[in-house]
Amino acid sequence: MMKEFFMQSFVLKKHVAKTCCLMALIMGCFLPPVHGEDGMKPVDKGGFAAMRSQQIKINHSRYEILKQDFTSGDEVTKACLSCHTTADEDFRKTIHWTWLTPGPDAETPMGKAGYSINNFCISTNNMNDKSCSACHAGWNGKEGEINCLVCHGQKEFNMTEAFDDLNYFKAESDDESRDMAQEIQGNIKKTVEDIGIPQRKNCGSCHFYGGGGNGVKHGDLDNSLATPSKDLDVHMAGDGGNFTCTRCHTTRMHEVAGRTYTSPASTTRKSLIDDDLMPKITCESCHSSSPHKILAKMNDHTDKVACQTCHIPAFAREKPTKVWWDWSKAGELKDGKKVKTEDYMTIKGEMRWETNVKPEYDWYNGALRTLTLKDTIDPSGIVQVSKPVGDSHDPHSRIFPFKVFRGKQPYDPKSNRFLAPLLSGNQGYWETLDWESALTLGMKDMNLPFSGTWDFVETTSVFPITHMVAPAANALSCKECHSPMGRLAGIGGVYIPGSSDNAWISRIGVFLAMCALLGSLGHGVLRFLVRKGKGI
Amino acid sequence: MKKIFIVMIVAVFGLVSISASVHAADKGDKRKGKYAYRNVYKKCHETDPSVSLTPALSPDTKTMAQWQRVFDNKEFDQFGCKAVWDALSADDLENICSYLISGAADSPTPAKCK
Repeated sequence: MMKEFFMQSFVLKKHVAKTCCLMALIMGCFLPPVHGEDGMKPVDKGGFAAMRSQQIKINHSRYEILKQDFTSGDEVTKACLSCHTTADEDFRKTIHWTWLTPGPDAETPMGKAGYSINNFCISTNNMNDKSCSACHAGWNGKEGEINCLVCHGQKEFNMTEAFDDLNYFKAESDDESRDMAQEIQGNIKKTVEDIGIPQRKNCGSCHFYGGGGNGVKHGDLDNSLATPSKDLDVHMAGDGGNFTCTRCHTTRMHEVAGRTYTSPASTTRKSLIDDDLMPKITCESCHSSSPHKILAKMNDHTDKVACQTCHIPAFAREKPTKVWWDWSKAGELKDGKKVKTEDYMTIKGEMRWETNVKPEYDWYNGALRTLTLKDTIDPSGIVQVSKPVGDSHDPHSRIFPFKVFRGKQPYDPKSNRFLAPLLSGNQGYWETLDWESALTLGMKDMNLPFSGTWDFVETTSVFPITHMVAPAANALSCKECHSPMGRLAGIGGVYIPGSSDNAWISRIGVFLAMCALLGSLGHGVLRFLVRKGKGI
Repeated sequence: MKKIFIVMIVAVFGLVSISASVHAADKGDKRKGKYAYRNVYKKCHETDPSVSLTPALSPDTKTMAQWQRVFDNKEFDQFGCKAVWDALSADDLENICSYLISGAADSPTPAKCK
């Protein structure tokens, strides 16, 4: 009787399965092919750069105004502005020029030129630290004309050095100097005429070298991204999407999207189908919020886990990034001379570099909370100079990967506020190795008090990891997070099977397991008792 | 006494070599040297495209004293482009030496060729 029942149900199941398969096959023929074998992959034949090359181009070498003999960078900019008449006023309003962003109150603007502080190069001292100003997009630091060529010049050529040499040779009277001046002028003209939309190397000329050297600051931005392989970055690779930075960092009136500071880089999570004029391209813009195969479990993660968390398994995968910078060790001389090695510099202190670094994870809604020079700190523990904003209850927050930069930096033990030393220049710390003088001058530039005493405190700051997206095959496997000591161990506000320990869920699990065990045992016992002499 | 004598001799040699380097750096025109140095590789690249336009050695790859020794002993093989080096005038060599010393590893402004 029982055997017949089981046989019937098996046959029935076979019919149901066959019918389901047939229906799925028929439906598959009519459904639009939204998801391919590897989930949603945007079509981008030939890459972004190839697409751009087919757009309207301006041949700047045909403009008479660019054929003149330039003697300074300011003259070049004036020539640019004779056609691009509003570029200057637009650009001067952007953070690329002002280095400012609104802070907690009107008297405390944030940004590099404001009261923000970090734990690598510490401060720009209201842009008076000339070393930092080298990356300001002007010809003379924060003074004078904007420098259009930083972002739009297609040739790598040191214009500042060229103008300096040009004017030197022009003042000389010998034939050799005249020839050299002519050669330099020719190179300047070639550079000025070769203008285009910003390429990876344009943005990278500053952003790859943030913090004073290649890969120092970010971890996911270094010069390996100038010509990356597909293994390093599927979007920017020449044989991948061949994206330039502006593919995602879209630009309106010279305002480049994607800056992360006190407010998120992007406040919406829309696809380009919803809104193709979005100010910032995010992963969802092209890949949608269900980027994986239909019914794939990974699609259920996207409301809590950022794409970057799984698809950037490690950062600094080719070039090392600085992860530790201890300013308290600066100042040591060897045989009376300054030391400069990979892990110690007299002028900068002790440092540690790492390659292929696993990110650390936290809830993040796109905004960072950064301390200013006016904030009071508690030096008894490790001070978070910057930390991500967000939590599990915030619908805009996702679990996101970060580089955490650790180090020690100076603070005033009397006021418990950070201090900003002046580093470069004749009176800066790098020249004098005198903390008292450098801190006094630096704080004077910031118009903030300094008691005259200083100490060092351990600090951390965070950098969201969003570049260096690896090929799908190298994305994290489930067990990287779903295991007791997985990558997301310690993330609060969410239950992660295999990783989290929730007392109630554990109790329910044990209860269900016990029920299953008792049910099986009971079933066995009952069968034994009603066996009617047929054996077990 | 003997120790002091040895220290003094070493110090004198050190001072002489440093002052010689500084003197050599002052002697030529470092700006002209920079362009002359670049032009060596430009000419070399024109005849053999496999040769990089970027010079083989940056100024910061040696100390001031080491550069001085290279030019004193005419150890130019390490630069490659032998034919072009052989054709350089004494003024060109002096200028190039001045440029390399001005950007040497132990100079106030170590420089790289880009």
